[in-house]
Amino acid sequence: MDTLGSRAVFVKLPQRPADNGLHRYAHYHIIQLAAMVMTEEQAKVKQQTKRILNRFGRKRGNLIPVLQKVQGKLGYLPREAMLEIAEFLDIPEIDVYSVVTFYNQFRLNPPGRHSIRVCLGTACHMKGGYITLDAWKRRLEIDRGQTTPDREFDLDTVACVGCCVMAPVTVVDNKPQGKVEPTKVDGILLSFKLEKERQGEESR
Amino acid sequence: MKTVSLTIDGEKVTARQGEKVLWAALDNGIYIPNLCALRDASEIPAACRLCFVEVEGKEQPVTACTETVEPGMVVNTRGPSALRLARTAFELLMSSHPVDCAHCPANGSCELQKIAHHLGTKLKTRRFRKLLRELPVDSSSPVFIYDPNKCVLCGRCIWICRERLGIGVLGFAHRGFERVVTTFADEPIAESGCRDCGECVVVCPTGALTFKEQ
Amino acid sequence: MKATGFQSVASTFREIKSRAESQWRGLRDGGKSVIMVGAATCGRAAGALEVLQAIKRELKKQKLDCPVVEVGCMGHCYAEPIVTISKPGYPPICYRHVNPVIAERLVREFILGDDPCLEFVLAALEENDLVPSFSDFPRAKFEKKVILKNCGHIDPEQIEHYIANGGYSALAKALQMQPEEIIDEVKRSGLRGRGGAGFPTGQKWEICRNALGKPKYVICNGDEGDPGAFMDRAILESDPHSVLEGMLIAGYAIGARYGYIYVRAEYPLAVRRARIALRQARKLNLLGRNILGSDFSFDIKLFQGSGAFVCGEETALIASLEGEPGIPCYRPPYPATNGLYGKPTVINNVKTLVSISHIVQNGAEWFASVGTERSKGTAVFALAGKVINTGLAEVPMGTTLRQVIFDVGSGIPGGKRFKAVQIGGPSGGCLPESALDLPIDFDSLTDAGAMMGSGGMIVLDEDDCMVEISRYFLEFTQRESCGKCTFCRLGTKQMLEVLAEITKGKGKIEDLDMLSQLAEDIKAGSLCGLGKTAPNPVLSTLRYFRDEYEAHIKEGRCPALMCQELIAYYIVPEKCERSCDACVGTCTVEAISSHPKKRYKIIDQEKCVKCGTCVTSCPPQYNAIVKLSPPGQVPASK
Repeated sequence: MDTLGSRAVFVKLPQRPADNGLHRYAHYHIIQLAAMVMTEEQAKVKQQTKRILNRFGRKRGNLIPVLQKVQGKLGYLPREAMLEIAEFLDIPEIDVYSVVTFYNQFRLNPPGRHSIRVCLGTACHMKGGYITLDAWKRRLEIDRGQTTPDREFDLDTVACVGCCVMAPVTVVDNKPQGKVEPTKVDGILLSFKLEKERQGEESR
Repeated sequence: MKTVSLTIDGEKVTARQGEKVLWAALDNGIYIPNLCALRDASEIPAACRLCFVEVEGKEQPVTACTETVEPGMVVNTRGPSALRLARTAFELLMSSHPVDCAHCPANGSCELQKIAHHLGTKLKTRRFRKLLRELPVDSSSPVFIYDPNKCVLCGRCIWICRERLGIGVLGFAHRGFERVVTTFADEPIAESGCRDCGECVVVCPTGALTFKEQ
Repeated sequence: MKATGFQSVASTFREIKSRAESQWRGLRDGGKSVIMVGAATCGRAAGALEVLQAIKRELKKQKLDCPVVEVGCMGHCYAEPIVTISKPGYPPICYRHVNPVIAERLVREFILGDDPCLEFVLAALEENDLVPSFSDFPRAKFEKKVILKNCGHIDPEQIEHYIANGGYSALAKALQMQPEEIIDEVKRSGLRGRGGAGFPTGQKWEICRNALGKPKYVICNGDEGDPGAFMDRAILESDPHSVLEGMLIAGYAIGARYGYIYVRAEYPLAVRRARIALRQARKLNLLGRNILGSDFSFDIKLFQGSGAFVCGEETALIASLEGEPGIPCYRPPYPATNGLYGKPTVINNVKTLVSISHIVQNGAEWFASVGTERSKGTAVFALAGKVINTGLAEVPMGTTLRQVIFDVGSGIPGGKRFKAVQIGGPSGGCLPESALDLPIDFDSLTDAGAMMGSGGMIVLDEDDCMVEISRYFLEFTQRESCGKCTFCRLGTKQMLEVLAEITKGKGKIEDLDMLSQLAEDIKAGSLCGLGKTAPNPVLSTLRYFRDEYEAHIKEGRCPALMCQELIAYYIVPEKCERSCDACVGTCTVEAISSHPKKRYKIIDQEKCVKCGTCVTSCPPQYNAIVKLSPPGQVPASK
């Protein structure tokens, strides 16, 4: 084997610095960022995103794991985070947006303090999951995909959490709860209310 | 270059080996309705589902954009089951299209009109419910107007912006019925980094992207 | 590629195995009671973690030192939370519906005292003279556990438990075989993909092995998106190593270097347990470079799906691994030749992979001896809906639907009448009573208008509306459609609109013909499997339950009294006892009040949201609240 040739293959390419503007798609966000006075909040998001990105390689296949990690940290995917990710992976910004809007898991708005996910799997639906959803909507006065104005609750549906035998299921703060019918909806809300009152008293 | 001879609608034609039936037909002056097909694209979208043809020896109609030519192949672009599928697909597209040709700048040059004529169907469908999306029109660009309601999601504009021009401002976002051609965070086109070259308007088969009148 | 050093593989594995076995024996025969708590997601939703804490607390209080083990799901989900206690001198006994109070009693009275608390017993794991065992259950005659063998019996977070119960022996055996031999074995076994379509697994592997391109990949498809199916979740939570072992054998057979486990993010416990399993396997060199001292190197990464049903489709799954939206591509080329990053890739379902180690271990003939002519082995079903024994059932292919629902599942609760069984989720269909004697296999179900799918089985009774269920599935596929191709994006939307009108009593009779024509076109014209099968729920219900559609359209009546717009709740004055206020108190929208002059209750139809809470609250001896359809049947209040 030609040693010179094979060596050439293994020469390590220098890592491209993140902000040199040489990336194929990078120029737009640089223009945008320059034109924008960054708020403190935005700067913090940017910094937190960068810290997560440092743990990943710059390949496109990492996009979804990166988005999952960033959302895990920030609770949602702010605009600045998506721009940062696009730049890091050197892909058009719209590609990040395409992925974020395609998958159910990702959200563009901050979540509420408590997450309510009503399971709408077949078993849950047939056992009245839609009635449970109605009850949540009625009590929280929001539609699915929305957050209450006080940011206490966000309501959404989930395709199936695989607890079909406990139907109808609602996942409350990541814990699946079985047999959630309208009266249990009121019970769960009451327990949150009591807990909040107790915390209020303790802090007083 | 190796060539293959085949029969399309009773006509003997030759095509480059490995060519898709759609291009073989179009090159020989035989029209097959199509919207999403792009000759130079590396991947075949096969998304619009309009180019159904019947191939002798195959039970079901196939899409001409994905079917590779074979020596001695017999293709019928006007077979009843192929036309049935193409017509249904077209009617479905029209069911979510605001058929308002009189006020549309693309009137006369619109490929939807051409396809309707070819398939012998009306632009306004009776069979299906009207399902309009009522999305806002974007006229922020100094050069063109983008009306997503008239878009058939063929993806030609995305392809030209990205692969040909290396800009990559447009892309698909959301999914299902909500799928739409848009910019990052649904921003106005003028703020998205668009260079106003207007190439996307040139390739748009419908009135979704049209030049502003001078 | 050939794994050299067969001698060393065998001796290396023997060492690992003997260590695992001594650990397992230490647990089983340590002279102490062993407590196992079923803590898969279904158990946890029923309160297993609270039970676990109660047991630990009580053991400490009683100064008892007994191992407490978290195990997976035995499939008897109807009895969760389940606790199994193996006390020396007693058979291992499973207790059902355990709550913290019962758990404390079990510790005090059975482990400390000597009373096995028979009133809480579900069954014993072994035959004995004291309590009935699982083998005495009528369902035992029909079940055959192969894929679910370990589920609920070992700690999924301890690799030693798996190895001591025969795990990774098939890998050790496979590494001493030629890859072609393994492929041949799998081909002869007749194994077909358990993901739904039933493609022969051996053939897929052979194509991939012979394909050019490196590296090759093995992907485990754990994107169990079918609503109502949960066996892949149960397996990954209860026995994750069996999946890894199958992937390793697949990797060796096709000459792959890397693997991915694709698990839904909606299954956080499955994700966690798979991750632990990977770490443990790596530690024992069952994963990584030169596995067990052979030439074979293989590593597996975990990938969390982000919530898109369409990613169960092979090409969409690959797109999402590549960081793209999960949008299917036109096939061919198939992933076996052009898959992940354009390289040859085998994608197998969780259950397919678990079957592999059993085939390698016991031989193709053993596997092929179970099942029907064209579908070999066992089928795992997730039984849910209106059936008494909800949970997992594993039966030989060829078992009839009646046996699964009525013998394994013990039939319909509450003395209701069976109406239909929905098989295969959004790609499947609803089969009526007349199809119950159908032997289950890939082909018979397809012929009947359903589909094996991933194996979700939802039993429906007389209270379930068939129009509503097909509307539900169309809503699901419509919401989960990627939107790429016209038929699926707009066709399913059209169907959904029409079905929604019918369930509201606004349908027209000619809509039914339009529905079935459009359904046929969507089947023939869609790009991917999701679209091609999306109309199945509608076509099958139109085929078997057309009369229900007609009742909705012609009479504005929902025969099952389910469609909300077509029913009304009504309190029968004659039955309503006067001094009872149960319904008034429970009504969530304050729609029930006392009649101003008489003493019975009336429902304000304007306010009523039709949630049905009042029906459950009305004491059974009165049973005064009924559903009426069409709603116009409610008499004007006097």
